[in-house]
Amino acid sequence: MNRFLIVFLTLLISSAFAHTNEHANLGEQASSIKASGKVFHESISIIRKIHPEFLRHKRDKTLRQGVRTDEYSLKGCVSCHVNKDKTNNQYRSVDKKGQFCSDCHEQVSVSLDCFTCHRTIPKEGSL
Amino acid sequence: MNKTLNRRDFIKTMSATTIGVATVASGITLTTFASTNKVPVTNEKRWGMLIDTNKLTEADIDGMVSACQKEQGWGSELYSTGNQKPGWIKKLKVKDKATGKVSNLALMCQHCEEPPCVDVCPTNASMKREDGIVLVDKHLCIGCRYCMMACPYDARSFVHETLRNQKEHMPRGKGTVESCTMCVHKVDKGEVPACVASVNSDAVIFGDLYDVSSKINQTLKTVQSAQIRADLNLNTGIRYSGI
Repeated sequence: MNRFLIVFLTLLISSAFAHTNEHANLGEQASSIKASGKVFHESISIIRKIHPEFLRHKRDKTLRQGVRTDEYSLKGCVSCHVNKDKTNNQYRSVDKKGQFCSDCHEQVSVSLDCFTCHRTIPKEGSL
Repeated sequence: MNKTLNRRDFIKTMSATTIGVATVASGITLTTFASTNKVPVTNEKRWGMLIDTNKLTEADIDGMVSACQKEQGWGSELYSTGNQKPGWIKKLKVKDKATGKVSNLALMCQHCEEPPCVDVCPTNASMKREDGIVLVDKHLCIGCRYCMMACPYDARSFVHETLRNQKEHMPRGKGTVESCTMCVHKVDKGEVPACVASVNSDAVIFGDLYDVSSKINQTLKTVQSAQIRADLNLNTGIRYSGI
């Protein structure tokens, strides 16, 4: 019984740490925004929790009604949270292992479907 | 307490209210025009295209095809062969058997008013926007290809392979159907479709079919034009003259 309790507590603590640890791959632009103290997303916990809903709402509005705003656009997410490989000056795809999107999705074991169709790096010529 | 309105008072109040409402309403219209991208598209417009096959040269059509490929990022599929290759816009040769006259057509999605692809789609992925542009919602597309069967113009294609680095404005993915979007991302910004912009002459005119002051509306009033397979009563948004 005690052994189970230890295992349970370890899991609990590790999961708590997993949620509090700093994102190593926030992305260059996003990191600098955060460092400057500016707030982009009104609440980090909300954007973490319900970003799929924001995106789903936005995708329907854009595709079906032609409402093209920057707010919650996947394009915007990618361009801000992408990282650049310093050695060859190329963007790293946000869905590659260890990058912003896949980092979290892997941890919570949720599949990441957007990028089978959507571009994973900002548009060409923006390097 | 029992004050009743006589006819004169009633008319006075009513006209004041009407003027008030009209002022507010015109204010609303002004703000909506100022931010067109933030408000949903309406059926007050219908986008269309007029292609003059007498003025359009073969080189023009090739230019249109490559402009579309460049803009939307299709055509460089490595593993798709033959009929699997996407074709959003095609060069078509039609010959009048009696006279031998050959016309070259640029054939793309005709953006029908009554699109058969929308009728048959089981998931509502195939859809028509309020302003007449027919699109595929790839979030809902299950790849059944019923729309490809239903389309009389063979305008739709299916993505057969995994793709990377799509265009930012045009997500494309394996297992979904796609076709000409009339460059909806550009139209929403007030620009013209890439294929129209690639033609130097006025062989292709793009505009709002409903707007009486638009060039396309004016031209359609004066020249003879035709819909391809007009017998199907689909009322296409793409019109051709000279065929």
